[in-house]
Amino acid sequence: MSDHALAEPRVVYNDAVVKKFVVASLFWAIVAFLVGCYIAAELTWPALNLGLSFSNFGRLRPVHTSAAIFAFGGSALLGTSFYVVQRTCRARLFGGEALANFVFWGYQFFIVMAALSYVLGFSQSKEYAEPEWHLDLWLTVVWVCYLLIFLGTILKRSEPHIYVANWFYLAFIVTIAVLHIVNNAAIPISWYSAKSYSVYAGVQDALVQWWYGHNAVGFFLTAGFLGMMYYFIPKAAGRPVYSYRLSIVHFWTLIFLYIWAGPHHLHWTALPDWTQTVGMAFSIMLWMPSWGGMINGIMTLSGAWDKLRTDPGLRFSVTAVGFYGMSTFEGPVMSVREVNALSHYTDWTIGHVHSGALGWVAFIVFGSFYYLIPVLWNRKALYSVRLVAWHYWIATLGIVLYIVSMWVAGIMEGLMWRAYDKFGFLQYSFVESVVAIHPFFVIRLLGGVFFLIGGLMMVFNVFMTITSESTERPREPLIAPAMLAGA
Amino acid sequence: MENNVSDLIVGLMMAGFGLVGLFLVAGAADVEMYIFGICLSGFAVLFDLGLIKRYHDRRDESRATARGNTHV
Repeated sequence: MSDHALAEPRVVYNDAVVKKFVVASLFWAIVAFLVGCYIAAELTWPALNLGLSFSNFGRLRPVHTSAAIFAFGGSALLGTSFYVVQRTCRARLFGGEALANFVFWGYQFFIVMAALSYVLGFSQSKEYAEPEWHLDLWLTVVWVCYLLIFLGTILKRSEPHIYVANWFYLAFIVTIAVLHIVNNAAIPISWYSAKSYSVYAGVQDALVQWWYGHNAVGFFLTAGFLGMMYYFIPKAAGRPVYSYRLSIVHFWTLIFLYIWAGPHHLHWTALPDWTQTVGMAFSIMLWMPSWGGMINGIMTLSGAWDKLRTDPGLRFSVTAVGFYGMSTFEGPVMSVREVNALSHYTDWTIGHVHSGALGWVAFIVFGSFYYLIPVLWNRKALYSVRLVAWHYWIATLGIVLYIVSMWVAGIMEGLMWRAYDKFGFLQYSFVESVVAIHPFFVIRLLGGVFFLIGGLMMVFNVFMTITSESTERPREPLIAPAMLAGA
Repeated sequence: MENNVSDLIVGLMMAGFGLVGLFLVAGAADVEMYIFGICLSGFAVLFDLGLIKRYHDRRDESRATARGNTHV
């Protein structure tokens, strides 16, 4: 450390808001997993819809997706981005405590209001963009404040360099703002009514929606969590990023290619063929940056592989990168028009989404949190490392059950829907395909329950880490100034 | 200093949202807008009360520190 560094005043970081986001993220994780299990049970045994409008699958499904993506994933992203940007810029969050608190509470308010509106039956009917216009405007205000804090902190940084994790976080924040505003452009029927109509119509509406939808995956569920990966894996492994140059190439290629891939969601529709082909081609090209990033994440462990045996938190992170590689391989395969003819509208898509959401997103959050929580609450270690290992194995088993059952169910459905008999009639009715996949729906539910149990284990472990006496750091002996002076 | 400016701007912004919430409740044409309006105004009031509390907590803390420095 140079004399110059020693002379600089110590930066007091705003960790209070980070802690709030971490706790909120864990709370929403349990809500998301619980609702997910319930709607999986509804699909398996439809009587569980209870004949009530607010508990039917159509209304609870967006509660599950929004709780998983925006509440659990979003709170984790906002919290870790505030943690990472302060440390890597050596600067306290810009905008003071009030603005950071507004972003936290405003975001939680959005989540609660959105969930309530779904249950009441108010929705734009756009996947991952269900909230009506008034909630969209509220989220825009919160998001602009978030951008202001993040960008302001970068601008007032003490470090000359902007670390690559911040590039990914910034891309996530800026692009989500653009996607959210453009896709949700709508005209309300009255300032006092929640109902609105999109400014787009027909296939243009579908294209804008899937430009948004796919980039919600690309920039919310990928870029943001890659920011997490580039900070927390090197920290947990105690190694620098394998190739910083590769991380920069990873960033720019991912940013450039992802934005064009949306039309692959609209194969075999009224969308012009050439547009579908553009989406497909860019999806296939995405293999390169995705796998470049995966290799970079995994190779960061070079020389530290032994830590996987003793640090199950790091095991989560590395497995997450493996799932990232797997789902970014599967995605381009499914974007090929001929494969999509089989996979689209089937449960294969649901399996694919969950290999990314559970395997990549949830695992990288778990790995990062297991590193972050003792640091944030100034504890010497986690309450139980063995419980982390149990969480890892039960969650992994849950994912395997989930995605394998959905692969089998999806391919079976696709094949049954396209089967013809010798007279040229469809061989199976739709309900026959539903009956055929019933056992796989039960297995999927079992996988979800395993994942939920793992989540509950984590919450218990985190609670005990924060409150238990066994994790307290030993107090340093007080030394009187006179003793120091006389030493 | 940064905290005081932030408190003022965010506090005023929230007061504005609180008023918007009340207008939405007053004219609500459906149950969703009624609930949103009432929750928005309630959220704004609670947030601004939180700001006032934290302002006084900070002032008390700085006074206590000042007293501690003068009475050794």
